[in-house]
Amino acid sequence: MIGRRTGQVVLMLAGLLAWAVQFTIIYGATSTLCGLDRADATLLGIGNVQAVVLATTLAAFLAAAGALAWLLWAQKRTSDQAAPADRFMTQAGALIGGFSLIAILWQGLPALILPACA
Amino acid sequence: MDLEATRQGPAGRLRTAMARAAVVACALSLMGCDGVQSALDPAGGDALRIYRLTLVMTIGGSLIFLLVTGLLLYAIFAAPERRVWLGSRRTVIIGGLAFPIVVLSGLLPYGLIVMRDTDVPRSGALPVEVIGEQYWWRVKYPAEQERAEFSTANELVVPVGRPVTVSVTAADVIHSFWIPNFGGKVDMIPGRVNRLNFTAERPGTYRGVCAEFCGDQHARMAFDVVALEPDAFAAWRDEQANPAREPDLPDRARGRELFRAGGCGSCHVVRGTEADGAFGPDLTHVGSRRTIGAGQFPNNVGTLAGWIANTQHIKPGVRMPSYGSFTGEDLRALAGYLESLK
Repeated sequence: MIGRRTGQVVLMLAGLLAWAVQFTIIYGATSTLCGLDRADATLLGIGNVQAVVLATTLAAFLAAAGALAWLLWAQKRTSDQAAPADRFMTQAGALIGGFSLIAILWQGLPALILPACA
Repeated sequence: MDLEATRQGPAGRLRTAMARAAVVACALSLMGCDGVQSALDPAGGDALRIYRLTLVMTIGGSLIFLLVTGLLLYAIFAAPERRVWLGSRRTVIIGGLAFPIVVLSGLLPYGLIVMRDTDVPRSGALPVEVIGEQYWWRVKYPAEQERAEFSTANELVVPVGRPVTVSVTAADVIHSFWIPNFGGKVDMIPGRVNRLNFTAERPGTYRGVCAEFCGDQHARMAFDVVALEPDAFAAWRDEQANPAREPDLPDRARGRELFRAGGCGSCHVVRGTEADGAFGPDLTHVGSRRTIGAGQFPNNVGTLAGWIANTQHIKPGVRMPSYGSFTGEDLRALAGYLESLK
């Protein structure tokens, strides 16, 4: 079973983790599809690479947004008597989650504007 | 004597002098803006896009810098009750979070759109191959329809209005191909072909440079870029595809003989003669080029002779040895022959 503290740290870093996973998948998928010459194929009218990037970005955004919502809800619930470490982790997690949402969107943007394998 | 006046005097004079110096410095720096090798004088759509991006970034960055500096000074010098708002949560959220996020969210798509629209391959583009070598440029025009392939050196001639696709690579070390008036840089990497697309929109003579340190003479590795009207370009191309012209004067014929006897043809090609060395620049039409030594000197008999006799003095480390053993008379004949290869 995961300890309470471990769970808290994971939740605090949830936004960054979602961003890291998105980064790895979209970079890996783009290079692989371009390397295999599969980038020209389309899926429901959008390019392969764009489809992967959009789906990954959406998933990462929803994951980070879910974690952020949970943290904000937890923050409201936290009483003034809570341990300083707990309060800090909830607040830091909310801040990190907010930034991660923006980072995830920024990272997905090039796929919509630039050609996949230029 | 008015003490105040004597104290103000030198300070006032210093301020005036500093203001004058600033005006002169600005004027001098702006003088460099238009010219044959300037990213601030775009002569094609790609360079224009990059130039606008530069303007937006420079002006925007300067304004934000001034704003932050002003706020910093205000935070230091303003009365405590007047500057208290600077430390409020609201100021931190707006100025420290919202403002950068909004600015960067605008700049990111703008930069990506510039990237997308710049250096786009176009159909019907003129293909040119440029190979970077220590310390010169081999330029090849591949055969196109009935027009034959030919090579030249240190000179890229392009037609105005027609897109150009330059395929670049390197023969020895990494070089970088950059014509500031036409677009961005592209690395020339041995074993790999990179491409650069641009369209010259204004006839004229420009200058390209090597933008990646490539050895001792990196700084002396430039080339001329000549944008010609389509008719003039077609004429130039036809002329370049011809073999070298025959010497029309006895002295030039002697120059050709010296070229042959001196072994120049083991490194240089002169099409139409037995000289077929592929190591150095193709000299078939060397006399038609604007400069010699990769942009070092204007091309004429004097500089050609000086170059042959003194390469290692002019550009120490180039692959061509100095041929200092020619007599002055021989050197004149040889240089005269090369100069006649229009």
